[in-house]
Amino acid sequence: MPAEGLLALRNVWKRFHSGGTETVALHDVDFVIEPGQFVTLIGPSGCGKSTLFNIIAGLEEPDGDGSVLFQGQPQRHRDLLGKVSFMPQKDLLFPWRTVLDNAALALEIEGMPRKAARQKAAALFPEFGLQGFEKHYPRQLSGGMRQRVALMRTFLFERELLLLDEPFGALDALTRSMMQRWLLEIWARHRRTVLFITHDIDEAIFLGDRVIVMSARPGTVRCDERVDLPRPRSGEVMLTPQFLDVKRRLLAIVEEESRKTFSASA
Amino acid sequence: MNLLPVTVALAGLLALWELAIALFRVPGFVLPRPLDIATAVMENPGLYASGMLLTALEAIGGFAAGAALGFGLAVLMVLFRPLERALVPIAIAISSVPSIAFIPLALVWFGLGPVSKVAMAALAVVFVVLLNTLNGLKRPDREAINLLRSFGAGRLGILWRLQLPAAMPAVVTGLRVGLARSTIAVIVAEMLGAYAGIGQIIYQATVQVDALHVWAGVAVATAGSLLLNAVLVAVDRRLVWWS
Amino acid sequence: MEERPSLIAPVATAIVVVAAWWFLVPLLGINPRYLPSLSTVVADGLSIRSDLVAGFWRTFVETALGFLVGSLIGFAVGVVFAYIPILERAFLPILVAAQTIPVIAFGAIVVIWFGNTILAKVVIAFYLSFFPVTVATIRGLETVDRDRENLMRSFGASGRQIFLKLALPTALPLIMVGLKIGVSFSLAGAIVGEFFGDTVGLGVLLIQALYFEQVPRIWVLIVACAILGTIPYALLVLVERRWVWWRAE
Ligand SMILES: Nc1ncnc2c1ncn2[C@@H]1O[C@H](COP(=O)(O)OP(=O)(O)OP(=O)(O)O)[C@@H](O)[C@H]1O
Ligand SMILES: [Mg+2]
Repeated sequence: MPAEGLLALRNVWKRFHSGGTETVALHDVDFVIEPGQFVTLIGPSGCGKSTLFNIIAGLEEPDGDGSVLFQGQPQRHRDLLGKVSFMPQKDLLFPWRTVLDNAALALEIEGMPRKAARQKAAALFPEFGLQGFEKHYPRQLSGGMRQRVALMRTFLFERELLLLDEPFGALDALTRSMMQRWLLEIWARHRRTVLFITHDIDEAIFLGDRVIVMSARPGTVRCDERVDLPRPRSGEVMLTPQFLDVKRRLLAIVEEESRKTFSASA
Repeated sequence: MNLLPVTVALAGLLALWELAIALFRVPGFVLPRPLDIATAVMENPGLYASGMLLTALEAIGGFAAGAALGFGLAVLMVLFRPLERALVPIAIAISSVPSIAFIPLALVWFGLGPVSKVAMAALAVVFVVLLNTLNGLKRPDREAINLLRSFGAGRLGILWRLQLPAAMPAVVTGLRVGLARSTIAVIVAEMLGAYAGIGQIIYQATVQVDALHVWAGVAVATAGSLLLNAVLVAVDRRLVWWS
Repeated sequence: MEERPSLIAPVATAIVVVAAWWFLVPLLGINPRYLPSLSTVVADGLSIRSDLVAGFWRTFVETALGFLVGSLIGFAVGVVFAYIPILERAFLPILVAAQTIPVIAFGAIVVIWFGNTILAKVVIAFYLSFFPVTVATIRGLETVDRDRENLMRSFGASGRQIFLKLALPTALPLIMVGLKIGVSFSLAGAIVGEFFGDTVGLGVLLIQALYFEQVPRIWVLIVACAILGTIPYALLVLVERRWVWWRAE
């Protein structure tokens, strides 16, 4: 495996220009992700997390200053399209497709015949707690169910790197902790590399091998913390001194950064 | 849908109509009784049926041609943006003219036969469908397009899987408005110059100040368009199957 | 995909079209019976300018009066229907059906009733704009969602406040659509009313041009109708940009 890991960001900047004003969304973002790692990304609202994901997915071009390396290869704009599986913050389900066809969308685009795509997607329905809803349309689902369909759609697009932008944001606390444990199981079985955005510190520590905390806008890596809690993890782990210790440290940083966001705009 | 209130309302309107004639002794040349209108139609069913059939055929023919042209142009325009920038201003300019103002031109160009009517029906629908389809195709937001791009979809994949289905509700609206306009354009064109058709029948009765037969013609035209529209509604259901 | 409307493309297109119409049409030897050159059209327009101005004004007045009355009454009726469910259930389907039928054919009856007066055209313009505005008002008021309404109630808002602060703003984008349809129907109604007989108006001039097969004159009148159609429409668009910039959901 090359020294750069699976994904490496080197000095990544992103500036937006609109109506004569410049918004620096990201500045000097620099980190490496090893294959099979589960990395969680946390940071104040508007600090550029989704922008970072767009860059890693090949949807947006980083400014000329830096570079993105995937499997050791430097990537130019659009090179990464179709190479990572990406789950945006909104569920973006298509109202005209049934739940099953929504889940199979990425497979169809890859060129799999519709029937085979459906079969493959249908097999995942029990695991996602959606059995019996295959023929429903998105408008007939609850917010949490829609989110799970979106997650399933991303999962079926089998790529080495998974980008999940607040996948459990719309779920209730119970479903959420169930989904967290379930995600860890899936991840343990398939060993795909995951980059996971969240607003919830407990979630970040519970899931991650590493927690990257981003600073207030312009976003950069504020701190990169290893989490050495033993796996497989159960809910109990959140009560251990080790967990609380990490949490205390991260909370202080996250709160400091969030305060910056609000005092800057005040 | 509960049909009772609508039925009651329609019956009420008819009753009001009869009552007004009885109470105010409205002469027949001002407002004929509903029953008299029905009798007038039934006295000469062949005339009205063949007139309405011709009008409907002209309207459907022009509507289909105009709608297909408008839809096709809109798809081309999203694929080739410069085409959109060049043609949309022309489309907007032409569609700001009430289409009936083109009737004299159509009659001079294509004569008093069906061709001028078909051309008017097509003109009445083409720009509504074009502009509606174009708006619909552009409706999906950046994020939805990005999702498909992240799955590796190309320009045509995005058009087929996202933009076309997303445009369907707008297309359907365009078709509905367009069909009404096509029928109107054909009927008015027939009033101004035609050998046959329901518009010509209404016009003849108007010239003879024969109110009863004007009403009869209008009633047949109304029934005919309701029928045409019912067919279109059935088609629409298939185009927007998910709502 | 919001794009800032740029004026370059439309202006460029307009210049190309005008230039082609003026120079290319005679050069290519297109039969003037089909498309006379723009210079012929302009000359013909200038030769009848007083009739043209009088006709333009007359048709404008008919359209404007009919539209104003039609949209005011349409709005009022729409509000009443939207708030009295039984009326809405009884009449909305009829109103919607009325939009799909050639109501313009009733113009023949209106002309029989009112004769060749300006009133006849105003009445036609009136009822043609009435239907779309009424339906748009009902539809717009229907889109107000329960959750927002309950939120307002929890703040202790009165019915009047809910109407003014929630229902009306929610409905306005759709009402604007109805108004734009209404104003173009009004113009069409006024012109068709004039077809049935009168002495002044763009519709009258169109009929005369048709009888004498004066193709340049027909083009003059088409352009006049385009201008007449664009003015009220553009005014409504300006009103919309300034005061109703939000979108219906
Ligand atoms: N296309 C764009 N044009 C201009 N500015 C943009 C654009 N996209 C994002 N921004 C700006 O970049 C900054 C970062 O946005 P981003 O969506 O990445 O934040 P985020 O960290 O994902 O926030 P949240 O946690 O609320 O989802 C914001 O200030 C936003 O306004
Ligand atoms: Mg975000």
